[in-house]
Amino acid sequence: VAKGYEVRSGEYVLLEQDEIDAAAGEQSHLVELEEFVRAEEIDPVFYDRTYYLGVGDDGQDAYRLLHDALERADRVGIGRWTFHNREYLVAVRPRDDVLALHTMRFAAELVDVDSLDLPAPSRKPSRREIEMAGTLVESLHDDFEPEAFEDGYRRRVLKLIEAKARGEEPDLPEPAEEPGGMDLAAALEASLSKSGNGAGKRKSGRTSRRAAKGKSKAKR
Amino acid sequence: MPRSLWTGSLSFGLVNVPVGLVTAVRDLDLHFRQVHEKDGAPIEVQRWCSEENSEVPLEEITRGYELDDGRQVTVSDLELQAVQPRRTRTIDIEQFVDLADVDPIYFEHPYFLVPVGEDDGSARAYRLLTEVMSRTERAALGRFVMRAKEYLAIVRERDGALTLTTMRFADEVRDAGDVDAATRKSHKPTRKQLDAAVAVIEELTCEWDPDKHKDRYRARLKRVVDRKRKGETIKAPKQAEQPEPASDLMAALEQTLQELSSGGSARWSEKRKAEAAG
Repeated sequence: VAKGYEVRSGEYVLLEQDEIDAAAGEQSHLVELEEFVRAEEIDPVFYDRTYYLGVGDDGQDAYRLLHDALERADRVGIGRWTFHNREYLVAVRPRDDVLALHTMRFAAELVDVDSLDLPAPSRKPSRREIEMAGTLVESLHDDFEPEAFEDGYRRRVLKLIEAKARGEEPDLPEPAEEPGGMDLAAALEASLSKSGNGAGKRKSGRTSRRAAKGKSKAKR
Repeated sequence: MPRSLWTGSLSFGLVNVPVGLVTAVRDLDLHFRQVHEKDGAPIEVQRWCSEENSEVPLEEITRGYELDDGRQVTVSDLELQAVQPRRTRTIDIEQFVDLADVDPIYFEHPYFLVPVGEDDGSARAYRLLTEVMSRTERAALGRFVMRAKEYLAIVRERDGALTLTTMRFADEVRDAGDVDAATRKSHKPTRKQLDAAVAVIEELTCEWDPDKHKDRYRARLKRVVDRKRKGETIKAPKQAEQPEPASDLMAALEQTLQELSSGGSARWSEKRKAEAAG
């Protein structure tokens, strides 16, 4: 089996794996850092996959030095990395004790916001609406606790499988209703009175852990 | 405008904003198809029953899940639909967080949310959320269901639009505890080494400019295809040796600093340009 690239409808150029590998470039055992940037300048949209870097042979001191220096300078290294014969743009940063390597999307891969053609409303949101929405955002603000969210769907599928394994028939629930239109200001006001001024409401099993944990935050 | 992959409603307290989800990334990869080397005919995939030794029509195919004890349970599409959560048409915002608190390790696929419907109220609600998130620099966490899977998603303002990024769940992120990160005390750098390394990093610091990084792999692959089309032979380049770790870290750092201070920054970027061209 070879690989064919369609250059025109129905016309293929045949490539051997060697020839595809030829595009990978030479640096197959190097992560070459070319420059350093401040992490907060990188929009999250660029991050693709994450890998952890472990120490190579005799590299302990250099690994630790790069890790500690990046941490102290508060910078991210940007470079190139070839993996499975493909060159990636990568960001290397300290994550707790280890160095994490993120493969990065190229700017050309991002859809430009102008192409979305967003409709302009007839009038801008009023100051009162912005203030109310801002208050609502603050009332629902909390620390990010990734562990507080679990993959409910996976859990339910596993439960279904277990039930079937026991020979039970699963119930089929009704589909959900769609929400209709609304009066923006009234909906905001109603939301605010519902959430109150306290710690904010919690839905679907998420409980506020902030109070219990205090302000201690996991180091990034 | 790109096609919506999902439509529904972004729900924020009692405010519902009808939205569509469009991808925020374009696939620019070169796609190959498998062909028979001898005659160039496309390779086709057939669904084959290993028991009956015959092809199986699509409507006779269901899903099997293997249990730990080796037994198999079959699950139908209808049953999978039944365990989908009820709120399949809404993105329920549960909480707002500071974007800077979210480790990039959690980000998965980025999308844009666009307002749908002719309704002026929807456009206004969309604008309101965009403006408030931009002012407060907060991002919203919520859940939604797309293509029979429940996602955790983060919604935020970017360039005047709402962006939704699907997130990995915490238990999908591998613990780094078993990665050898040379944490023994003996590997701790000296103060002098650390100062020198930080100096190198600062010397090579620039602004993040995503537009200057081009996908050289894709460009080279395109050239390989073009040359092959013209009938040229392509040879794989020699693979570079893995460089040895510096035996004297301090000497390597000092040399790097020296090169950088003697107009070395320019030399580094020239080297990079040469590589990009090659």
